[in-house]
Amino acid sequence: MTILSIAFIVAGLFFLVVAAIGVIRLPDVFCRSHAVSLTDSLGAFLMLLGIAFYEGLDKNTLKILVVLSLLYILNPVIAHATIRAALRSGLKPWRKETP
Amino acid sequence: MKTFLFCVLVLLVILIGVYLYRVLQGPTIFDRVLGLNGISTKAIILLIVMGLYFERVDMFIDISTGYALLNLVGALAVNKYLEEKGAP
Amino acid sequence: MALFVFWVLLSASFEWIHLCLGLVCSFIVAWINSGHSPFVPKSRLAVRVLLYLPWLFYKIVQSSLHLSKLILHPALPIAPQLMTVESRLNHHAAVVLFGNSITLTPGTITAEVDRNTLIVHAMDQELGEDLAGGKKEMETKIADIFRDVEPDL
Repeated sequence: MTILSIAFIVAGLFFLVVAAIGVIRLPDVFCRSHAVSLTDSLGAFLMLLGIAFYEGLDKNTLKILVVLSLLYILNPVIAHATIRAALRSGLKPWRKETP
Repeated sequence: MKTFLFCVLVLLVILIGVYLYRVLQGPTIFDRVLGLNGISTKAIILLIVMGLYFERVDMFIDISTGYALLNLVGALAVNKYLEEKGAP
Repeated sequence: MALFVFWVLLSASFEWIHLCLGLVCSFIVAWINSGHSPFVPKSRLAVRVLLYLPWLFYKIVQSSLHLSKLILHPALPIAPQLMTVESRLNHHAAVVLFGNSITLTPGTITAEVDRNTLIVHAMDQELGEDLAGGKKEMETKIADIFRDVEPDL
């Protein structure tokens, strides 16, 4: 069980690192928000799943699942609000320069 | 397992530093809001891993739940304000 | 009722003083908020949504692997674009579920919602293809969930 949870946590950390690289590399707000949503959806899911496996079946596991579902419901709302505010305040999405 | 959890904690703090660079550097204000959102997600995970490290998960999970709700309210308020007023 | 289950889940103690306090608090909150939301979910709808979640999770894994490949690629081959998705959903909750699923999938983000027309920012041609292209898989599944609810949009 410990091996399984370590594997899940390492996979989650991989996605978190990829998302951080994306936040540094990508060119504008709209693209960076994709990287942040990658963190939220898969990285947090894998890490919390690994922690739940390590805890075993307990009331803490139930609470971890509550936090996870809360993250899944709330994070799209925040991302959508940010993108809508950016779009309505007149920011133009970045495009690749066509030669 | 203890050492592994400590390594996870250190890596999470480094990732928070990376997001902090984006918050301080961001060209527009929305980059800063986005970076703060990412930092708060990292902080939720950090709190739970910390609870596992100190073996007090039941206490730290309540804190992280409250943190997630506060993050939602704060980010929505900032975004509504910016949407009404436009970017400075 | 659901609020009371949530209270028990959060406090995780079964002494009778906690249970009574939770019952009173959840009744007060439900009484204050009654009549605000016109949409009352039915139980068979919840079952269908639960059956829809594994497919959504498969989609999330697929597209996030694609997105991490894009980010880690040294030449950064991204082609971000705004696209308009015209859906045939005719229910408030269906549109909410659709937009939430789009945003939850990495690589596509809902930017604007107007009745049942959504403006979606997609990272790549291939990622946006699932929504606006010929397949429209996600929209078909959500329309299937809400197939026997009378339209209110």
